[in-house]
Order: sequence, then structure tokens, then C-alpha cells
Amino acid sequence: MVFPRPFPTDSYDTETSETQAETESTLLKHLPLDPNTPLVLQKNLHMQYLVRNLTQGLPTRYTSQDASQPWLLYWTLQSFSILGVALDPDNKQRTIDTILAWQHPDGGFGGGPGQAAHLLPTYAAVSALANVGRPGPRGGWDQVDRAKMYKFFMSLKQPDGSFLVSHHAEVDARGIYCLLVTAYLLNLLTPELVEGTAGFVASCQTYEGGFSSSSQPYYSPGPSGTSTILNAPRPPLGEAHGGYTFCSLGSWIMLQPFLALEDPSTRPSVDFKALLRWLTHMQGLPIELGGFRGRTNKLVDGCYSWWVGGCFSLLASLGIGGGQGRDVDTGSSDSEGELWDEVDDSLWNRIALQEYILLAGQHPAGGLRDKPPKSSDAYHTLYCLSGLSSAQHNVFPSPARRSQLRGSWSPVSEFNEIRKEAFIEALSWTEEEGTSQIIGGQGNRVNATHPLFNLTITHTEAMMQHFYGQTLPQRKF
Amino acid sequence: MTSEPDAPLFADRPEWEDVVPLPQYENVDPLAPIFYTDEYKDATNYFRGIVKTGEMSPRVLELTENIIRQNPAHYSAWQYRYKTLMALKAPLDVELRLMDELAVRYLKTYQVWHHRRLLVTETREPGPELEFITKSLQEDMKNYHTWSYRQWLLAYFNDDALWSDELNFADQMLESDIRNNSAWHHRFFVVFQSGVRTGDENREEVVRRELAFVKNYISLAPNNASAWNYLRGILDHSATPYSQLLLFVTPYSVPRSPDADLVDVIDLENPPPSMGAQLPCVAAIEFLADIHENEGGDDIMKATELWRSLADEHDTIRKKSREYRIRDALQKVQV
Repeated sequence: MVFPRPFPTDSYDTETSETQAETESTLLKHLPLDPNTPLVLQKNLHMQYLVRNLTQGLPTRYTSQDASQPWLLYWTLQSFSILGVALDPDNKQRTIDTILAWQHPDGGFGGGPGQAAHLLPTYAAVSALANVGRPGPRGGWDQVDRAKMYKFFMSLKQPDGSFLVSHHAEVDARGIYCLLVTAYLLNLLTPELVEGTAGFVASCQTYEGGFSSSSQPYYSPGPSGTSTILNAPRPPLGEAHGGYTFCSLGSWIMLQPFLALEDPSTRPSVDFKALLRWLTHMQGLPIELGGFRGRTNKLVDGCYSWWVGGCFSLLASLGIGGGQGRDVDTGSSDSEGELWDEVDDSLWNRIALQEYILLAGQHPAGGLRDKPPKSSDAYHTLYCLSGLSSAQHNVFPSPARRSQLRGSWSPVSEFNEIRKEAFIEALSWTEEEGTSQIIGGQGNRVNATHPLFNLTITHTEAMMQHFYGQTLPQRKF
Repeated sequence: MTSEPDAPLFADRPEWEDVVPLPQYENVDPLAPIFYTDEYKDATNYFRGIVKTGEMSPRVLELTENIIRQNPAHYSAWQYRYKTLMALKAPLDVELRLMDELAVRYLKTYQVWHHRRLLVTETREPGPELEFITKSLQEDMKNYHTWSYRQWLLAYFNDDALWSDELNFADQMLESDIRNNSAWHHRFFVVFQSGVRTGDENREEVVRRELAFVKNYISLAPNNASAWNYLRGILDHSATPYSQLLLFVTPYSVPRSPDADLVDVIDLENPPPSMGAQLPCVAAIEFLADIHENEGGDDIMKATELWRSLADEHDTIRKKSREYRIRDALQKVQV
């Protein structure tokens, strides 16, 4: 075999290059000497690991996640969905009851019973309900207080278009992503809610191309205490980061129906060329087994398989780069012969990422992880599996599905245009047929996941159909 | 007091007798329960009791500190603590000293840094914070919260005295590790993104200074992505054509020539690769290809050759994205 080259250190060692070298030598030990060694996704082991957490409970060290209980559940349930398993009806009901105990009396969800409402657990709780809930009494969906949730959202809004994650708490891109996904799923979008938000998101892009946690507005003092926000300077706080980049790009896409309404001369913009370059540079070298890092000169980590790897299909949906996807029933017969000439025209190394997850991401005792020799946890289990899913499948906004949805839309009484666009755009995402690339054989296949929401397409459809009062047309393909 | 490991449970303290503790789950058998310690269960039961009655008193400060020490990510305890401090008009310098201890201990949680930010917004005394942050960065030189707190402090107060030594600070951080991307980002923030600092009014001069700075760092260790990104950042920000760097970049993009150490003319503007440099450097080839692509015409072919060499030899993991650049550039030529 060809021995992969270490990262060149130019005979100039620093702390960064030393930890990098240590990581490379650890990862290299996970590269099989025989290239024909079968790569197996240990589905049963991971399932057992998750079931163990769910039913037997979590060890004391998880106390640090006491304020993230909705996340623990979402990570676990969504991992099940990606692995293609579902809970039995009794445990489903128990789960729904647990989630509803986190709802705050003034709207939104907290990290646990009696905790303050916060955008992050609100997203996690609603996404968990997408997995296990249903309409009707005790089903979870109709017990979410949408009117109070909207008020809670508005109470967090800042003059620069951003949102606090909770009262008296910080502003950051995660909160905005979580708010938008929740508003999409529960049909809460209004122009008032997202006014100025796209401008805030755009201001978080750094010179490297990726996005930072937030930005700081400057104000021009006006007469009698009034002040207006300046367009510049509006510096990003913190460097480009994989997690914030996913949240910012996802938010940017969810804000598209609103951006179209803005004056083109002042419409905020994103430098996609720089973003694409930064994203591709986050993929590690062969000696790092092709995993993704989250910042320049930091170490690869399995969770960025999703946060960074997941960005490519989001970008493709905006027409940036390859991998836009093709509808099967294009209706034109002349293209049939050349349709699958080039199956994988995506811009990143989907094969290498799968190898990283299979070789380094799996803990021998079940569950997935950052990298060896770390232990597994629910967070890394989901984001490694989601990353694996996005590396296996191409999910794209299908023009055919879009026009089908447009045709079947039945008008709603409030904000019809905006909500219609949101509904159609969100549900046009479709798994491209015949282009899956599965390393290690069909046994390793996992379910596709919605690139914007990280829910299965089926769960997304069911929940949105309910909250938008729509009936979905049958998929033709 | 509350940090004592053998402090009695709140349930056993007579001065808490009047509070009704609330268990976490009532009538629900939760999934994925966490096995809390008795101390944690006790404190959070009393916290839920307090939140319910809305009490804001000195003993709430004791209770929330107790919870925070057991779980610094308990954002509701932080939030309630802040509201109580405000309601009591408690001395915030005392609170900040407590935070000095907790921030170092729980460096990686959002809440310790945000609580500081709330306090400093009230005290309006950002001065001593810089030194504290500098010390914290010695412990963890890439801590995202610490860096963004520093940048917030500078931008929010936007006070000349606060900014005065910031470039030096960024220099020192880079000297201790030239690959620390957080420090590079900080330099960009200071120089280009928060208005114009005293002494930096001549922007052309600033661009020249920064170019000289980053070239020097690239020459020390050319395979440092942070430095190349900074170089691109300067050029994009000042709308300077990449081609102005042609002379500098070229020697980095090719294998070392055997007579490299026999240079008799030293070009101070274009420092050569260090003796230990591993050449050719991927970032330099990539940069050179961008120059050629921008030139257009016949140079497009030079760009595609460079991308081809990256795809097939020097940076194979990114093969797909380089092939995309080749397709994209050739399409433009045909149109």
C-alpha cells in the first residue's frame, strides 16, 4: 500500500503541528494494512448502545447535559431513524410525554422540566416530536403552544436582526438556525419575525469564507437617544467554524423566500466562492482518513462529517458547484443514454468521508465518536451517522416535486405567499434515484436525511403537512 | 461555603425549610434519565421550587452558585442568578472575582463567558478584562468563547485605550504558535473589520504592512493554511489583484531548486521559502492557479495544468473540487 504522507510541517514545530502529528499517528493505526479488509457499519452495536442509553439511563457524567435533555433525546431518536428503526408504541408515548414536560408555560421548550425556554432545546424538542409524535390528544403535535412560541421568538429578537438564544443569553448562529427550523416545521413564519435576519447572517461570514458565531453591530448615535445600526463595520466575532457555518448556510437558505422580497440594491449577499473553497479545505488529508475539521489548523472530528459535509448539498441547492441532482422523470427521452454518465459530480470526497466514519468513527463498544481513542456519545453518534448519510445519498430540491407541490397547494388565510414558498421549498427536497454511493456494501446503507432539517423526508412531510393544513400529492417517483 | 464538598443538602438546612422542593418529573416516567448525584438532585429540586415562587434573595445566589459548580452548563441557573443580582443590586465586582475563578475552571462553557459579558455591560469597566482574557488564552489558545468575548469587548466599548495594544497582542499570540488560526482571525478583526485605529489611517500603508507581515510568516512555514487565508483576506478586502503576488508565490509553487541557497540578491519584499520548507506547497499552487484563471486567455490552460497537478498528485483528497474548477474555467473559455 501507499503510505499516506504526513502533513508538511516545514521543520517548524508548534503546538498545533505537534497535536496534529499525534492525531495522524493515532488515525494511521486505524487504516487497515490490507486494502481489501471489509468496512462494516456496526448497526446492531450502535443500536444497542442507543437503546441502552434510552432505557437504562445515562451515567452521572451526563449531568453536564442536564440542560440539554431534548438534545439527548433528539440525537438518539434521529439516529434510530437514520438506522431505519422506530420505537414501539408504548415507548413512543413515554417519549412524547417526556418531551411535553419540557414545554415552558410562556412558550418554547427548556432543557428539562422547570428550565427556562431556550431556542436550542426548542428545536431539539420539536425535532424529536417530528420523529415520534402525531396529531391528536397526547400525540405531542397539537400540545405545542404555537402562539406562545411565536411570542417567545419575538421576545428574543434584536435590532440587528439576530436573536438571543434565551432571555439574557447570547446571540449566535445556532439559535437562528434552530428558530428557523422550528418556524418552518410549525408554520410560524412571518416577515416580521425574520426582518433583518438575512443581513445578520451575511455579516457573520469571515475573510476565510466560513461563518463565525455572530457579529457585533455598530450604531450611529441619533438625536434624543435614537440610534441606527450601521451597515459597516459589523465585525464577525470568532473565526470561521464548521458548526456555525452549517447553521448560517441553512438559515440563509431558509430565508430565501424573504430575501426575494427585499430591495435588490440593499439585499445582503454571501461570497459563495469563498465559502466553497473554505468548505473543501476542511476535509482532512488521506493520513487523516478524509475526515472533516471544523476550523483551519484544528483537528478532524467525526461531528463535522455533518456540519461541514452536510453543507455541500445545501450549496448545490443554490446552484453552487456540482451535485445539483436530477429528476428521473424529466420527460425527455433523448437524454436517457447519457443521464448517468457521471454519477458523482459533487465537490467533495464522499468516499473518503465514509472511510473515516467506518474506520475511525465507530467505537468498538457501540456508538460513534469524535476520533479514537475517545469514547462515543449520543451527539457524535447522530452527527457521524448523518454525515455518513449525506456522503451516501444525494438529496436535492427537485424541480418536478416543486411544481407538483405548487399545483396542489391550497391557500391559507395568513401570510399565504410566504408560507406557500416555505412549504414548497422545504418539501421539494428529494432523494436522487440511482446515485447512492455506499462504501462497504449495501449492508452499510443508512436512510437519507433532509439536508436542511436533519429529519427523514417522511417525518418532515408528515409534520409540515399537518401544521400547514395541506394534503401532499403522491410522489411520482 | 457552597463549594465545600461536604456541605449539607438544602433539604437538611433549617433556613430552607420554607421552600417547597419540586421534583423534576411528576407523572412522567422519562426516557434516557440521567443518574444524578444526591447533591445535584437536591439543589435542582430547590431551584425549581424557587423559580416557581419567583424569589430573588441572597440565598438564591448561594443556591445558583451551588448548581453552577455542579453543572456550569445549567443556563437557567445562570439566567436566574443574573436576574437576582440585578434585583438585589448586588456588588458586581464581587461577582466578577467569583467569575475569575469559574471561567478558568469551566473554560469551555458558553455561560461563564456570557455571564461575564452581562456583568461588564453593567459595570462598564472593560479595562481589566483584557488582561484576564490574555491569561485565559494561555490555558487554551484556541478557545472560541474566549476569543469572541475579547472581540466583543473591543467592538462593544470601542474605546481607544482598549484598542491601543491589540496588534501587539495578536503578534505575541502568533509568535507562540504561527498556526493558531484564532490569532490570525483576531489580527484581521483588529486591522480590517472594526473601523480604523489610530495610526492606521493610511489604508494603503496598512495593506503594505500586512502583506509584508504575512509573507514573512509564509516564508517561515509555507504549509500553513491560516497564513494563506490571511493573505487572501487582505487581497480580497483591499480589492488587490492576486497577480501582484506572482513574484512572491512562484518559488513556493515548485520543487526546491538545487541552487536555492546560492541566492545573491535578497529581495526584501519577497522572502524566499525557509531552508526547512517542504516544497512545492499546495496553497501556493492553488494561489498561482487563481492568478492564471483571473488573467484569462491562454493563462487558463496554465491554471488547469496546476489544478490537474493538485488533483492527481499534490492534494488528491480535493480532486473533485479541482476538477470542477477545471470544467468551470474551460466552460468560460468556450463561451
